[in-house]
Amino acid sequence: MLLRRLLIRLMGALVVVWGAATLAFAVLKLVPGDPVDVMLGVNSTASEDVRQQIRNDLGLDQPVISQYLGYLGRLVTGDLGTSYRLQKPVATVITEQLGPTITLALASIVIALVLAIVVSVAARGPITRRIAELLELLALSSPGFWTGLLLLTIFSFNLHWFPVTGGQGARALVLPAVTMALPIAGILSQLLRSGFDAAEREPFTTSARARGLGPVRMFTRHHARHGSLPVVTLTAYIMGSLLGGTVIVEQLFGRRGIGRITLDAITNRDLPVVMALVVMAAVVFVVVNLIVDALYPLLDARLRGRSV
Amino acid sequence: MSLRSRVARWATATVAIALVAAGCAPAATETPGGTEPVAGGTVTVGLESEPAGQFNVHVSGADVAASTLRGIFDSLVSQSNDGEFHPWLARSWDISDDGLTYTFELRDDVTFTDGEPFNAEAVKANFDHVVAKDTASQYASSLIGGSAYDSTEVVDEYTVSIHLKRPFAPLLQGLSTTYLGMISPKVIETSKDQLAAGGPDITVGSGPYVLQSYVAGQEMVLVPNPDHTWGPEDADHTGAARPDRLVLRFLPEPSVRAGALTSGEVDIASNLSPNDAINLENDPAYQLQANENPGLPWSLFLNHDHGILTDAKVREALMRGIDIDSAVQTVYQGKYQRAWSILGPTTPNSYDASLEGTWPHDEDLANQLLDEAGWTERDSDGIRMKDGERLSLNWPTATAARDARAILADAFQADLKKVGVDLAREPLEVGAYLQALQGGDYDVIDWSFVRSDGDILRLHLFSGLAPIQNASWVNDPQVDEWVTQASESSDPAERAELYQKVQQWAIDDVAFIPVYVPTTLVAAANHIGGLTHDISGWPRYDQIWTTKQQ
Repeated sequence: MLLRRLLIRLMGALVVVWGAATLAFAVLKLVPGDPVDVMLGVNSTASEDVRQQIRNDLGLDQPVISQYLGYLGRLVTGDLGTSYRLQKPVATVITEQLGPTITLALASIVIALVLAIVVSVAARGPITRRIAELLELLALSSPGFWTGLLLLTIFSFNLHWFPVTGGQGARALVLPAVTMALPIAGILSQLLRSGFDAAEREPFTTSARARGLGPVRMFTRHHARHGSLPVVTLTAYIMGSLLGGTVIVEQLFGRRGIGRITLDAITNRDLPVVMALVVMAAVVFVVVNLIVDALYPLLDARLRGRSV
Repeated sequence: MSLRSRVARWATATVAIALVAAGCAPAATETPGGTEPVAGGTVTVGLESEPAGQFNVHVSGADVAASTLRGIFDSLVSQSNDGEFHPWLARSWDISDDGLTYTFELRDDVTFTDGEPFNAEAVKANFDHVVAKDTASQYASSLIGGSAYDSTEVVDEYTVSIHLKRPFAPLLQGLSTTYLGMISPKVIETSKDQLAAGGPDITVGSGPYVLQSYVAGQEMVLVPNPDHTWGPEDADHTGAARPDRLVLRFLPEPSVRAGALTSGEVDIASNLSPNDAINLENDPAYQLQANENPGLPWSLFLNHDHGILTDAKVREALMRGIDIDSAVQTVYQGKYQRAWSILGPTTPNSYDASLEGTWPHDEDLANQLLDEAGWTERDSDGIRMKDGERLSLNWPTATAARDARAILADAFQADLKKVGVDLAREPLEVGAYLQALQGGDYDVIDWSFVRSDGDILRLHLFSGLAPIQNASWVNDPQVDEWVTQASESSDPAERAELYQKVQQWAIDDVAFIPVYVPTTLVAAANHIGGLTHDISGWPRYDQIWTTKQQ
């Protein structure tokens, strides 16, 4: 029974990844303009012969359908192809850049969680609640680019607390991670606060309190769990926010990583890299959703024993 | 070549400067780098872009490839900033009377950093690689003469001849660039397919620097080539690079590059925004260089082959109707000069200074010209009409960013609205932009092009080269003759005279409207000495030193 459920899940996941790959391929083929012309840049002196040679080298002179089937075939065997622009295997390009992005993303999540928990727990009184609401709104609505520049200006250019540029150890990670963490912390904190409020109104709170449960245990045993349910649901949103965030933050702070190559690949119409990134993002989303589904029953006793 | 980056985040820089304004106390004035050059230390440079996938200089046409890899690849000849040519890897050269054979006597004491000897065979291997069909060279093959190039011949071990099918006067200029720099023949033979991706064992030349590492998206580290004694004859310092390490760090945001300089993380910051440059210039702790780029200024190309702008009177009305002086002054704050000719003033042996001041802003004249052209009616918006057609011009652009050029465009739009012309700048996705460009489906289009030779005018005006680079679709037999003659003449004076004729014709005809002279703004901390730039306006790293020794 479990195996069958797992298989169905896996099939569904494969369909999602295939769909993402196909859509990305279709979009990249449908957008106007020749990929070789785009790659060469706006006023390249390259002659038509040279352009044709490049099209030939990249297999772009073949019919679209055979390009598509060839691409899927290679994808199944794990071959992501060679970057048009960087002239390196896409797998190498991505693995070279993955580490810094994962570090940045993890650091951002940790910072966001800590900030959100601190703020939401601290903001239990009427005045602190107002302050928290304001801070959350600010964090949520400030564009990452602006936040990053502001942080740089204050903490790097003027106070010299942190280095301006990336790739120089843990200290260089702080400002970019905070830049990315702030909007996530804003939304998490809002959710947590309303989750705690909702838990407060639940009958089990009254009964637990009647049994003489202290506020600390009440929070750790009941409210924290209850209040964090909507946060888990939002994980996919956070993933998206992180992916988008890296594009801006890596560019701004001069860090290497997936966001920076994503931007480069899209502007230069580097099809194999764009496709690989789309597939990778699809895989990550699918995996994250699977994990979230698995986590629900652990957090909410009401879901245990039900087949999802 | 290629467009200067269109992603100059203008608004950002402005915000950052407003915020930074109060920072950083100035240090006492001192002579940059002291008086005596010193070896050792690390020099870190903040650059806008990186040569990702562009390490094969024989293929790439990117500015960034030529400027960042200059220290690795030597050339046969060197062009000094006055436009003269000097011996480099070639001790001397001789041009045959018919202009068809260039014979170079090579240095016999040069080795590539992988131990390969430099000789006539090496030169031939390089040029054969440039023109090979499967190399698919995007730029170098045109610098070596394109269809005018015939072959390279090994005369003896240290003598090599380039044979041409027809005279090609810009050849020496092409040979002086990084694009025709010498790559180790061993790498060309064994690792041709890896040249573009590059790397320490692949990107191998004979220059004063050796590539130690390249981390995409982050930095490139260069170390001195201790054996190097063969720098260009016109350089002060011709030996190995002085710093122990040269770190080129890639920081796409202009305000971040400036901030990295003031916080001491980089010693040199290039491609600064005018705003940042002014702040650094006023700070005695930094030295600022503003290097004008030669070649084609940033210009508005007016489509001669399409709709309204086929009428020369309307083109002239546009030229006189926009207030270039105040727009360029406002946007670039005096750091970029407005252009008067279709060549930049630093383009050697060709710039026509007599055009300066000859076509100032004149709203009345613009109105008069449009009246004469028959655009006499007005619609409810005040835009001129003729036979039911609205005087509306479209200007596609490949960037949606609110950069400095968008602000210039706004100013021009406002100016032209006053004389009843509607100029619509339309941001398009790059692919759609290229389709519009190649199809000739536009009235106005813009770019600039760095090249230290007047031959750039042939690329932009010769009738057979529309729309790239002849984006104005100029088709004039007289102009074709002048630019062809100039490209074939071996007499510099004759070439200069022909290019001056072309420049005057271009202003009379309004082939295109030159707007400003692109300028590379570079700032360095005062512990950096020997900061110079090449004729393209790009910073060079072969002369620098630092007094900050750790």
